[in-house]
Amino acid sequence: MSIFLASVGFGLITSAVLAIAAIGFTLQFGVTDVLNLAFAAVMTAGAFVAYWLNQSGVSVWIGLVAAMAACSLLSVLLNLVVYTPFQRRGSSPITLVIVSLGMALIIEFGIEAQVGGIDVSYSLGQGRTFQAGGLVLTTVQLVIIGISVAVMAGVHVMLRYSRLGKAMRATAANRTLARNCGIRTSRVIALTWALTGALCGLAGTVFAIDIGSFGPTSSDLFLVLILAAVFLGGPGHAYGAMLGAAVIGIATEVSAAFITPDYKYVIAFVALLAMLAVRPTGLLGARA
Amino acid sequence: MYYVINLLVYGAVDAMACLGLSQQFGIAGVTNFGFIIFQAVGAYTAAILSMPPDTANGGFQSYLGGWSLPFPLPWIGAAAAGALLALPFTFLVGRRLRGDFAAVGLLVTAVLVNLLVTDYRPLLNGDAGLAIVPSPLQGEFSPTSTGYQWAYVAAAVALAGGVYWFVRRITESPYGRTLRAMRDNDRIADSIGKNLLSLRTGMLVAGGAIAGLSGGVLVGFINTWSPAAWTYAETIVLFAAVIIGGLGNHRGAVLGAVLVPLAFEEGSRFIPNSQNLPPNLIPSLQWVAIGLLIVAFLWLRPQGLLPERKRVIAVPARSAAEPPASRPAEPAVSRPIAAAAGHADVLQAVDVSRDFGGVHAVSGVSLAVRRGTLTGLIGPNGAGKSTLLALLAGTDRPSAGKILYQGQDISGMPAFRRARIGLIRTFQLASEFKRLTVLENLLTAAPGNRGDSFRGAVAGRRYWRGDESAAISRAEAVLGRFGLTDLANSYAGDLSGGQRRLVEIMRALMAEPAVLLLDEPMAGVHPELARRIGTALTGLCSEGMTILMVEHELAIMDEFCDPVVVMAEGSVLAQGTMAELRERAEVVEAYLVG
Repeated sequence: MSIFLASVGFGLITSAVLAIAAIGFTLQFGVTDVLNLAFAAVMTAGAFVAYWLNQSGVSVWIGLVAAMAACSLLSVLLNLVVYTPFQRRGSSPITLVIVSLGMALIIEFGIEAQVGGIDVSYSLGQGRTFQAGGLVLTTVQLVIIGISVAVMAGVHVMLRYSRLGKAMRATAANRTLARNCGIRTSRVIALTWALTGALCGLAGTVFAIDIGSFGPTSSDLFLVLILAAVFLGGPGHAYGAMLGAAVIGIATEVSAAFITPDYKYVIAFVALLAMLAVRPTGLLGARA
Repeated sequence: MYYVINLLVYGAVDAMACLGLSQQFGIAGVTNFGFIIFQAVGAYTAAILSMPPDTANGGFQSYLGGWSLPFPLPWIGAAAAGALLALPFTFLVGRRLRGDFAAVGLLVTAVLVNLLVTDYRPLLNGDAGLAIVPSPLQGEFSPTSTGYQWAYVAAAVALAGGVYWFVRRITESPYGRTLRAMRDNDRIADSIGKNLLSLRTGMLVAGGAIAGLSGGVLVGFINTWSPAAWTYAETIVLFAAVIIGGLGNHRGAVLGAVLVPLAFEEGSRFIPNSQNLPPNLIPSLQWVAIGLLIVAFLWLRPQGLLPERKRVIAVPARSAAEPPASRPAEPAVSRPIAAAAGHADVLQAVDVSRDFGGVHAVSGVSLAVRRGTLTGLIGPNGAGKSTLLALLAGTDRPSAGKILYQGQDISGMPAFRRARIGLIRTFQLASEFKRLTVLENLLTAAPGNRGDSFRGAVAGRRYWRGDESAAISRAEAVLGRFGLTDLANSYAGDLSGGQRRLVEIMRALMAEPAVLLLDEPMAGVHPELARRIGTALTGLCSEGMTILMVEHELAIMDEFCDPVVVMAEGSVLAQGTMAELRERAEVVEAYLVG
């Protein structure tokens, strides 16, 4: 019983980190129509920005904000310099996926060329440990969960009530129509990159905090989890991504406790392939 | 000397792999981001087929199998394993799934399979991988001798040559043309009777066998195989090679294999490892360079170093003065329909509905199209005309109701099968196979070409030459009828909007339709040309074809269509001649208000 609860605890944290990343990824894809496989690489870049600041004595939490800013900028640049020119030329979605893979290599191994192949970790106290039943969580872990809940609430409020959120939804649904209705879609898209980039930096840093020690390629497998969460909920759907993150996060950690940690990604993998085969629009999606 | 031999074997292996990927991605448009696992499974299969049971050598490694099979069984097994591995993936490449989603599925599979093999030791010795894999015929010859090594080079190069011959034979056949058409526009290929699932499965299996064979050849030479040799990123290297070499050109694939995997991965051993450099710098920069190369080439030279070449088919010049009427029955005669008395209504919709979420795009439509008529379908935007057409053609499925063709219920029949029994549609947006010539666009649709199957393509030119030249002369006749003979060897993607509409109509006619469903064939076409199309269509109807045409231009309806069906808000409002319809207040109102 306590193993179960402990694994649910791990699952909650994984879900929390995953939700931030999956929401960022799915909004990015939904609004900009780029299936950006460099997402995890940008996350890593953010984690390292926080690390470099942390190394020079700055708190990780300030580093986290810097990471958000850096990834926001990097994502906007990525769109401006790489993806938009390709899209404007009428490149096929698959060409963009290949380009994003190329960008992933450039960013990820650019970092590795800089820092070498060794894993690093932040200097950060875990704070007090809280216990409720069999559930054991540290202050840092609670903060991560808090951040994630705040992100979900914020994204909900933004999509629902703000002008930008509505413009994003309109652009996602039909870009040409949105433009004809007077929405400046290119600005909405740029803002989407900035926003999802910030989420990406946030996710990268809390991911690095969560796993303890990380390297330039640590987020590769995390991309599998992100994709699984996104496709489970339906690509482009923010609420789907939240649901997907909750299911995938808890399922992987519980299966890790009861089967074996080596194969915890298998559940995510099976979920992803099953969704692709049976219902590519996801659990919450209806749009083809 | 040893290094040269090494390079040659690697080069041959990389060439094989790139040719397999070129066939899948460059020709057929199947983006297999999991390509490397097919090579891996070939290598592992060859290894465990040739190795002794895992108790040998003190049992320091554990693996399945260990059958000590003699050469060449391990290599054959490698190719077979690659082909078999393709089968579970066929569900990813069917008609419904977007190509980029399928690619993501394959990429994730590649990552996960590598992880599983790494972590689960009993299967294939886990992370450490298999070592002391026997070389072929090592009992008979000494693998370390120079003669043996050169023989290995010869065998590898010969196999690569064989693979080149094989993929070329497939690509330069009618089947290869169909694959290229699917690559350019799979929805249209589906609509003219191509079975996308079977085509893509064929490519996954053929490419898988090639990749498997390359793995088998490699492992016999290097004698070890571990998960580090086939990370998902290796697939990206192969993609880089094929993109740089030239998509859709097999020679380009070979060139890419020499330039990218060989020069980068093997050639970098020549870079002196200076003491000042951190150990990981060179490999990291290599990956950065691969990424840069991919992005730069896709931007600056997307066609690659050796672009896909144009397949020009000589068309005998025909004088423009020759009236099309002089060859009346030849082009696109509709296929004979058994004149059973009960089937005067060749195509029927019975109480058909289609909902999208809460929107009733088509609700309770019943419609009968009589044989030999040119039936018009009009209605305001959003009336459900195109949706109805899609339901009739099988592009979409009705939420309720039945579609009958010649009295037979075809509601559950997929689009490509409907096309094969003579029910052909065109699309509202111009839709040509861009990187096929006009003539090739037409030839793709010709039914019954013996070379338009995997087996037919392998059988070779002699097997399908007859069907091909028959199709070419039919295509020439159709081109003549529409006055496009001069453009026969132009890329369809380079034509004007009106010319592309013509190509689409001609292609539909090449499919020998009994019933032709046209979605706004004259939209954006010069009125003069529109009239010529109308006349041609009327002529086809008098030859026995049945046509249902969506059109907005009432003048066209007046002149050519009888009867005309009016739709509004998902239902049939009225039906009759245009003159009759003009008398009816609700029709006029629907058009004016809608």
